[in-house]
Amino acid sequence: MKPRVLVAMSGGVDSSVAAALLRDQGYDVVGVAMRLAPERPPGEARRRGTCCSHDDFEDARRVAERLDFPFYVVDLRADFAARVMDNFAAEYLRGRTPNPCVMCNREIKFDRLWQRARALQADFIATGHYARIAAGADGIFRLRRAADEAKDQSYFLFSLQQRELARTLFPLGAMTKHEARARARALGLVNADKPESQEICFVPDGNYAAHVERATPADAIRAGRIVDDAGRTLARHAGIHHFTVGQRRGLGVASSEPLYVRAIDAASGDVTVGTRGGLSAPGLIAKQVSLVSPQRLDYKFKAEVKIRYRNPGIPATIELTGTDRAEVRFVESGPAVTPGQACVFYRGDEVLGGGFIEQALAG
Amino acid sequence: MPIYLDHNAGAPMRPTVRAALTEFLARETGANPASIHRSGQRARRELERARERVARLLGAPTRSIVFTSGGTEANNLAIFGAARLSARRQIVTTAIEHSSILAPLTALESAGFEIVRVAPDSDGLVNPDAITRHVGAETALVTLGLANAEVGAIQTIAPVTEAARRAGALLHLDAAQVAGRIPLAVDDFGCDLMALSAHKLGGPGGSGALYVRPGNALAPVMLGGPQETGLRAGTPNLAGAIGFGVAAETVMGALEEESIRVGALSAQLLERLLLAIPGLRLNGPRRERIQNTLNLTFPYVLGETMLIALDLEGVEVSMGSACAAGAVEPSHVLLAMGRDPAAARSSLRISLGWSTTAAEIARAGELIPLVWRRVVAAEPVSSAESAATTVGAAR
Repeated sequence: MKPRVLVAMSGGVDSSVAAALLRDQGYDVVGVAMRLAPERPPGEARRRGTCCSHDDFEDARRVAERLDFPFYVVDLRADFAARVMDNFAAEYLRGRTPNPCVMCNREIKFDRLWQRARALQADFIATGHYARIAAGADGIFRLRRAADEAKDQSYFLFSLQQRELARTLFPLGAMTKHEARARARALGLVNADKPESQEICFVPDGNYAAHVERATPADAIRAGRIVDDAGRTLARHAGIHHFTVGQRRGLGVASSEPLYVRAIDAASGDVTVGTRGGLSAPGLIAKQVSLVSPQRLDYKFKAEVKIRYRNPGIPATIELTGTDRAEVRFVESGPAVTPGQACVFYRGDEVLGGGFIEQALAG
Repeated sequence: MPIYLDHNAGAPMRPTVRAALTEFLARETGANPASIHRSGQRARRELERARERVARLLGAPTRSIVFTSGGTEANNLAIFGAARLSARRQIVTTAIEHSSILAPLTALESAGFEIVRVAPDSDGLVNPDAITRHVGAETALVTLGLANAEVGAIQTIAPVTEAARRAGALLHLDAAQVAGRIPLAVDDFGCDLMALSAHKLGGPGGSGALYVRPGNALAPVMLGGPQETGLRAGTPNLAGAIGFGVAAETVMGALEEESIRVGALSAQLLERLLLAIPGLRLNGPRRERIQNTLNLTFPYVLGETMLIALDLEGVEVSMGSACAAGAVEPSHVLLAMGRDPAAARSSLRISLGWSTTAAEIARAGELIPLVWRRVVAAEPVSSAESAATTVGAAR
């Protein structure tokens, strides 16, 4: 019997081509589109470039019809709200900057959806992510960057471990985006030239602060002061969830030199700002740390770490200081460290693991 | 071949219908039944013969049948057609009607009508007294599904007929779901209007009819030519009408034998599932039910997963109604019956019909418990109030 693979389809070109490739490789493909974000109020204009809309499901359905495999829309809104959206708002209210795409991968696509896959007797889950999975001669699975460096999404997948990697397929890992689009065109797929989704799917307008406010009782919003290094009040602000460590724009403070957010204190509501020079930290503490193949690493190892999706990796020494905790020391002084963001450890092309930034190490 | 257990959504075309349509399409001239020439006359004769056959199913005069594009249009015509001609401003219905009843009524509500929606009991049965209580001098229309599509509950009509007649209100019965399952004589029900759908009884899709008691006036909804005694403009769907007529005739001849056979298969499947799945619950009345319909709440699973898993095993059933995106929403009927949303999300509708065989039911009786056990093991949900989140995530 052909192995069955459940392909998570967004309606975009990547997951569509992923499904097509797997079908051609002889898999028994079952397509699913996940309903994750709550419905937007009727009448609100649909914005292009986001997923989870009815049009996107329709695109996915048309691809499935064209390629002739079964397709279903599955409703995971309750799980998404409990495991991703609630966390998103809570993190902002704690003065942190969450990465919901990492959480969605960890909690929904490679965990919750796997339950559904097993219920449907699937052997694998596949997505249109640009990243590569390969087993070494030792039988241990490696997670690697995509061949297309510009599209590489391995950063968002760091939490996958052996168990998940063994049951996951990323058919696009060896392709470039250009090749994927060409493939989609050759197959006559409706979405071959569809623009990419950019924003977080449940905040289609990109206004995170407004979203946090909608999701939060008014008395939980922490208004407070904008202060300088010396604790002098420069201005007042309407809530710490408007700020991200490293942020420059929209501070509402006049200054001769550009000011950046250095720290957010959720308890007092103070947002500390300063000049660029004071932003860099010698390292960070990461929590919820996981390693792709812990058997291949010492408690202390060298790696390049990425602390934002679009930042280049910077050399660092990582010391595991607990079962899911690590201290990361940059070899040279690093960039601004934003609590809540993912911190991913690489060695060359390989993802060694990662965690979520708890705090910067004190200089 | 998949085991098709979704007859309430649409029945497979009966062989008699397929044969008649194939024969018709082979010699179809394209002539309009309204044309004067002889080809037009022949087309008209075929249309009227189809009308006779549908009328006979209802024990109604031929001229009382208005062909429509289906049950939805028939319901729309009944409701808007009655409301527009009446000076009265109240309509009485139930909370468990088909969307083609509920949506027109919501539209009328926005236009100033008072809509009374009577709730059913926990079996989906509506107490006729709860309806008649609201029927009075302001009532333009009482509209009621003769049987519910989702749980199969057959409603008691006689007291409602009586009350509507006394109040001078029209009575519309949505019979789309019962045609072919129970005898349908309009005079026994004493209704003024009755909606039918061809594909629910093994005719072609896109074909339906509204019975309009002679002497009752309706305002047309579709405007244009004088077709269908002025009640439904547009060139008739001749093939659809012919198929409908043949389906009606076949059903008339087979009704008793078929309903007994299907009822027995359905009972057999229910018994098997109750034995194999602890905690399984039948939604809807045991007896006052179109026996082909089994609406079941499966413990500890999501209906959505069951539906997909069964489909991949070749057993085709349904759940609630599909939203615009193609995802399933919990049934408004089950919610109106007082089920909590979690239970509604764990429910499936299995509906048998003329094509269902004993072998299919035996196989379904094995596969459904098997799939249920697999889904419980992989994706257990708490059966309590807690909606749709899963318990014991694999992580």
